[in-house]
Amino acid sequence: MSAIPFESRLRRIGEERYHHRHPFNLRMHAGTLTREEIQTWVRNRYYYQTRIPIKDGLILSKAADPGFRRGWVQRIRDHDGDEKGSGGLELWLALAEAVGLERDEVERLTDVLPGVRETCDDYVRFVESHDLLESVASSLTELFAGDIMKTRIQAFEKHYPWVDTAGLRYFRSRTQQAPRDAAEGLRYVLEHARTPEDQDRCAAALERKCEILWRLLDAIEVAHSCPRLSPHAQLREEAGGLLVVLPERAVKPSASGREILALCDGERSAVAIARELARRHPDMSGLAGDVHEFLANMERLGVLAPRGAPQ
Amino acid sequence: MSAPRPYNLIAELTYRCPLRCAYCSNPVAFRGIPDALDTAAWCRVFREAAALGVVHVGLTGGEPTLRADLAELVRGAAEAGLYTHLVTAGTTLSKEALARLRAAGLRSVQLSVQDAEAEASDAVAGAPAFERKLTFAAWVRAEGLPLTLNAVLHRRNLARVQEIVALARKLDADRLELANAQYYGWALVNRDALLPSRAQLDEAARAVARARREAPRPEILFVLPDYLAGRPKPCMGGWGRRMLVVAPDGRVLPCHAAASIPGLELGNVKLDSLAACWTDAPGMNAFRGEAWMPEPCRSCPERARDFGGCRCQAFQLVGDAAATDPVCELAPHHDLIVKARRDAEACERPFVYRGGSEGEHGGVSTSTDA
Repeated sequence: MSAIPFESRLRRIGEERYHHRHPFNLRMHAGTLTREEIQTWVRNRYYYQTRIPIKDGLILSKAADPGFRRGWVQRIRDHDGDEKGSGGLELWLALAEAVGLERDEVERLTDVLPGVRETCDDYVRFVESHDLLESVASSLTELFAGDIMKTRIQAFEKHYPWVDTAGLRYFRSRTQQAPRDAAEGLRYVLEHARTPEDQDRCAAALERKCEILWRLLDAIEVAHSCPRLSPHAQLREEAGGLLVVLPERAVKPSASGREILALCDGERSAVAIARELARRHPDMSGLAGDVHEFLANMERLGVLAPRGAPQ
Repeated sequence: MSAPRPYNLIAELTYRCPLRCAYCSNPVAFRGIPDALDTAAWCRVFREAAALGVVHVGLTGGEPTLRADLAELVRGAAEAGLYTHLVTAGTTLSKEALARLRAAGLRSVQLSVQDAEAEASDAVAGAPAFERKLTFAAWVRAEGLPLTLNAVLHRRNLARVQEIVALARKLDADRLELANAQYYGWALVNRDALLPSRAQLDEAARAVARARREAPRPEILFVLPDYLAGRPKPCMGGWGRRMLVVAPDGRVLPCHAAASIPGLELGNVKLDSLAACWTDAPGMNAFRGEAWMPEPCRSCPERARDFGGCRCQAFQLVGDAAATDPVCELAPHHDLIVKARRDAEACERPFVYRGGSEGEHGGVSTSTDA
């Protein structure tokens, strides 16, 4: 198999599965996200940004070729900057401030959604447990990043004028860096994926990475959906507390679980519920993550209606 | 005497059924057991169950829809505050009758299928039923009722788990119970024709894992059959602990199969209150808690999880209901299970259909105290 069909195969994966098609990104670019949704995205995507240099460090650790390392290490420099107060992570924090978040809060990572944390950690674990070729192939989502950055800059300027344009410098820097990084990664993959088996592994790695980015946005969307009790749930007040009776199952929520369920009225988003809980219990840290995890569990058990289900 | 709070009442309304499944959990001698409880008696049982703390009632059988008073029974259970769940083969009820049950307070439905397609499914059921089941499933969803699809797995359909999942998705089921056959009653008669190999089972487990990754719906329940699991199942969540069964003749049992244990003194709701049958009947207390346990159960750290496994199985295979469940690798009689697995691997037998003349399976214990 020659390199050209392999390259188009990789590009087709991006066209079909990259998160530029995710409903959340479509809404972002169409200008219909709320300020709070933008904030959730920026806060959570920062966690992804913090994982990238770690991932690149793992890739470096697999490479025996000094030439490869010399090129690849540039990515870590880009992210971390050559001195404190510079680099991609710093630019992302500037974006966070521009959308109205507290820099410290974002940096502490305390309010990262469990689903986002899981999918980003999944990416790091993937790179950790796969060889250099697959790891580099998984980075090829960069091939599609340049375009999405341009769309994003235009969308922010047009639809979200409340975001200071100085905050968009991260996107601008990536329009330059992403194509350079992508070209480097693509060159490596085309040169080293010689057998059909290797090419299959690379394609699978890229698909996996697309799925990881997709799931990140899924988690953000779910956090902004409005949970409500399943119409099939029967609530029973008992001496020992609340019992939720469902088809072939009964669930006994704890007192704090009960407090969360009481807020699941189909009007409040999960984010709003977590905020309300945090307001009521200022002494408890990490509460937001627990709330989102609890809601996901209750949905799995059928106590809450499947999110996105018709009203 | 105090007893734990039961949460689940299994109301076996009748042992009559149009299907003749080769793994039916009803007593082998089901024909001798009459429907002895009328509408008022069952409604009284539902009220007494609710008072004991029961929240779920499974209306089952046999085929519960053969009861002409089913809508009244559903209403009686719902009025008692129970969450009403119908367990049916789906071949007998009309669309209108289902709508009447919903209006009477029916909350959810479990529908059995025997396989993923008509020919194989009907071969197990011993009756042409598959197409009617699919139609019935659509009616259930159209009524807005939650649907559980139940398929009993055995060596002849284990390879089609993926297709059964696809069927459940097509029918828009909320839950899919992939229940490996349990070897009591008719299933014990047919054990050599049903018991799968380890390899078949592993392949099915992989198919389930794939299906779960594909989509969150339906929720899939898949439990290893205890013959191959190496450890006993926590049968009924413990004897006389969470669930009780009321049989068509009014007897109150700790599980579907307990009547197969001879000498068990059980209560009957025709003579006593449900509370008395649950709390005081010597048979109900025979294996409650841990005092009855022999070694190795008595000192086993697993006893709080598996409650010593299944008493009926111990009786059926060892001849002593208080023996350690022989499916346990630590049991003195575990060799019986090893032999059953070997025998099943070695032979290919036809099914003996439920309802065939009783003489067809001579030598199998059909003991009941009915």
